[in-house]
Amino acid sequence: MASTAPQHRHELETIDLHINVGPQHPATHGVFRMVLTVNGELVEDCDPVIGYMHRGNEKLPENCDYRQIIGYHDRTDYLAQFNTEWTYCLAVEKLMGLEVPERAEYIRVILGELNRVASHLMWAGAFGTDVGFFGTPFMYAFREREVIQDLFEAVTGERMMYNYFRPGGVAWDVPDDFEEHCRYVVDHVRRGLDDLDALMTDNEVFLARCRGLSPVTPEQAINWGLSGPMLRACGVKHDLRRAEPYSIYDRFDFEIPVGTQGDVYDRYLVRMEEMRQSLRIVEQALKQMPKNGPIMAEGLKRVLRPPAGEVYARTESPRGEYGVYIVSRGADKPWRHKVRGASFCNLSALREMVVGNYVADAIIILGSIDIVLCEVDR
Amino acid sequence: MSEGTATGQALPPVLELLREALPDVPFEYVPTPLDPAVTVPREHLLRLMTALKEDERLAFDYLRCLSGVDYLDELEVVYHLRSFRHGHTIAVKVRAPADDPRVPSVVHLWKAADWHEREAWEMFGIVFEGHPDLRPLLTEEGLGYYPLRKSHPLAEIEDWQENLLEQVERLAAMAAPAGAPEVVDEKAQKVALAQRKAEVIKKAREEARAKGLPPEEERKYVQEALKRFEEEMAKEAAAPAAAPAARPAAGDERAQKVALAQQKAEVIKKAREEARAKGLSGEEERKFVQEALRRFEQEAGAAQAPSPPPRPATEGKAPLSAADKAARIALAQRKAEVIKRAREEARAKGLSGEEERKYVQEALRRLEEEGEGG
Repeated sequence: MASTAPQHRHELETIDLHINVGPQHPATHGVFRMVLTVNGELVEDCDPVIGYMHRGNEKLPENCDYRQIIGYHDRTDYLAQFNTEWTYCLAVEKLMGLEVPERAEYIRVILGELNRVASHLMWAGAFGTDVGFFGTPFMYAFREREVIQDLFEAVTGERMMYNYFRPGGVAWDVPDDFEEHCRYVVDHVRRGLDDLDALMTDNEVFLARCRGLSPVTPEQAINWGLSGPMLRACGVKHDLRRAEPYSIYDRFDFEIPVGTQGDVYDRYLVRMEEMRQSLRIVEQALKQMPKNGPIMAEGLKRVLRPPAGEVYARTESPRGEYGVYIVSRGADKPWRHKVRGASFCNLSALREMVVGNYVADAIIILGSIDIVLCEVDR
Repeated sequence: MSEGTATGQALPPVLELLREALPDVPFEYVPTPLDPAVTVPREHLLRLMTALKEDERLAFDYLRCLSGVDYLDELEVVYHLRSFRHGHTIAVKVRAPADDPRVPSVVHLWKAADWHEREAWEMFGIVFEGHPDLRPLLTEEGLGYYPLRKSHPLAEIEDWQENLLEQVERLAAMAAPAGAPEVVDEKAQKVALAQRKAEVIKKAREEARAKGLPPEEERKYVQEALKRFEEEMAKEAAAPAAAPAARPAAGDERAQKVALAQQKAEVIKKAREEARAKGLSGEEERKFVQEALRRFEQEAGAAQAPSPPPRPATEGKAPLSAADKAARIALAQRKAEVIKRAREEARAKGLSGEEERKYVQEALRRLEEEGEGG
């Protein structure tokens, strides 16, 4: 594969060294270890070691009631909780043939899209630190993220593990000032994104470190199983919200940003633009949302027993395709509950992306994948 | 479920295409809410997957998910595929018997399958033949069981953990007053002795009466019987395996289990080290470890099964290892105290960090010498 590193002239004799990056290392964004084999500054091999956060998030739900499982999904991707809950609820709804009321669908879309913005902001801040900005973008991003968190807290009562979506709708109605609050959040975040843009996008150091780093071709990306911004940065115009529309995404007008080079800089640009598109969706949803109405499907029993069958539900989470595969045998617990983590699949291509680059760039490439280790390890 | 090949029922368009591309591969159509699914026999899987990837009409270039499922007697692998060119999806299911869980790998077709297959291997024990690097992904090597199989229920783990905690507490309690259980044994022994004496007396008296002896002689007869009995008891007490009688068995069984588990763990550890020293691959290493375990179990079984007499020996062994453990704990505690004291002394003297470390090491060496001497 193409390397951006200049040809090394072997004037000094070097030997291969193995470097452990992690598992407790700020640049690995969680408990993750990669064993780098380096020749001087060049990475010759990379062995990602995962599993430090493995908690049996596939096994435990197989011993849980269908509604108890929602909380386990908050604890997989803890930066996109609404999106993960949504995927799981979608799977159960597809199995049971449930219709979700209009108002609940709009609430889900608004919260899901704002969650995407919050997740991307978190990424942008942390990535800025990886590249060498130190605190500033992090603080800029967190200022905006905090506004979104306040909204989520007002709706769900929680700052992190929301547990708000239910198969068939949402747990309770949103506060009275929800619409107003959302508009405030959208305005605030939009201005904040401009600030972040001005700080990072054209920054010379940022460009020097990211542009042309670890380019991936569309064929490679598809074969490696990449999804989400990682895939779109390569120029593949694929977004599950458009390609396999779920919920009510066919009602909104939004662009799918794509990159051209598939390099780290394109991944950044795609995510920045996605945040703006998400805000557009939120605005449209606020306009279309019914003022009142049911928020939960009718006639649901206390204990859900989906008929025997299986389904693989997937949604476009901030990190890509988050999938839930459920096999039901008609009992009150799923027979099999599999989680397809978006960053699990994106991370599996780390070796291919990192080999041939400098050690310092390996950290940036890892950062550009946007991993959440709890979702990788499950 | 319905037979896609047998009846003339309308198939989803993508399956019609599949049948066109591979007319001789039988498959069973399984409707699911989102993707059409097919079950194929294992021997046709590789041909089918290759066709799905490479046939122009199908062109499934994206492996989005690979899941293992445990159906008790069978294991299933489910592949969820998507085609970017045509926008269609399919789920392919293949089953393998639980006692022969081999499925061909598809890593050469989709690189994305790499980690998925490693995960399904460690979690379900499905062996993906042809995988370039089939190591465990999320768990440690040589785990010895497959966590996501139904035969590995959650409840048992919790039980086991609770037992272990109780065991640890019991060992800690035993470590404090050594020899406490012996007192209980002596009492029980005395009671047993008195009972046996009473029986001897009773039997001797009955015998004497049957013989028609007068009261004076009867008393002598009984005393003689008693004397004989006491001599016997003295002989028994002199023998090394004294007092096999009255120890309550419940705790011992547990201790025995713990000791066995410890021995097993050691066997596993040793086997793993040997395997690594030999440079075996992950799969071979696991086999090697299992082999060693089986040998160990056979030996343990042979030691226990044939004759009841060895039982007291194993019974004696378990508390011994517990006492051993207690001794070790006590030693570690003493060491910790010595270190603490030495460090405090060093600080009181105002020594530098380097000197302090030396001082502590010195104190430790002295402790070890004392231990060897005493």
